Amino acid sequence: MRRLVLVASLGLALGGASAARGQSRAWDQLTPEEQWKAWQNYQRYQQLPEPKRRLLDQRFEQFRALPPAEQQRLRQRYEEYQRFDPAQRQRFEEKYRRWKAGRH
Amino acid sequence: MRCGRARRWMAAALDDELSVRRRHALDRHLARCAACRDEMAVSGRLAEALARLPMTAEVPAAVEQATLRRVRMLAADEGERAPWLRVFVPALATAGIVVLAVLGTLRLPSGRPEARSGTSQTAAARRSEKPVAVAEAGRTARPARRGRPPGPPPALAAAPELFVDLPLLHNMEKLEHFDAIRMTTLDDDTSGDARQSNG
Repeated sequence: MRRLVLVASLGLALGGASAARGQSRAWDQLTPEEQWKAWQNYQRYQQLPEPKRRLLDQRFEQFRALPPAEQQRLRQRYEEYQRFDPAQRQRFEEKYRRWKAGRH
Repeated sequence: MRCGRARRWMAAALDDELSVRRRHALDRHLARCAACRDEMAVSGRLAEALARLPMTAEVPAAVEQATLRRVRMLAADEGERAPWLRVFVPALATAGIVVLAVLGTLRLPSGRPEARSGTSQTAAARRSEKPVAVAEAGRTARPARRGRPPGPPPALAAAPELFVDLPLLHNMEKLEHFDAIRMTTLDDDTSGDARQSNG
């Protein structure tokens, strides 16, 4: 229950902030396909451990704070990432691990 | 990892539903198993093809009316036929409608069904009330979707876009540093221009 209140509070806060920028869409404004997708992802989210949920909440906050052009750039990269074939993806993941190790 | 487990994880991987650890394990297996790599590639292409299909399709009104007219005609003759036909004929008619709907979907261009033609009030009402779900646009088999999902719980209603974008948020670090990661060299890299970057 506490989690639900936290998520709802975060959502309301973020929704309010985004609405002020005129970018947030309410549930009824999503297409049916987006609504189904949101439902499925919501169910997955519910099954995640609390630290992972907090991380996603933070990332959502960061994402919403980005300018629309930057959000679009990330979406395009995500589409490109999804189009990777298995070999490309595996190579990218290896590079990601190495890149991350080099950062820390 | 054995091939059986790898194949069970492939659908989830294509949907970005695997945990990072499992994804890495699967990638390692794919790197050394050509058969599974091929299977993954085929599954990926199939998922892309499925994703391009429309989620729902409607039976053209003329086809539906003609089918129902035929059913009524058959029903009128029903009294003169064997009792088992009372069950068989409606079942056959229903199967016919389903087949027509599937065939109709295969001919329809992709896109949202609402955007396609259909101007009569009856057709519009039918569309809004009960679209016939005949093809799933998801990347893996999922329960058939009809219209919109049920009303959202408060947390989902409060931040619906958080949940729409959840897969992207999962991978946000990679996406933010996409180019830097791609420029990172691995031990077997031979290209001179790639280099380790912490960007």
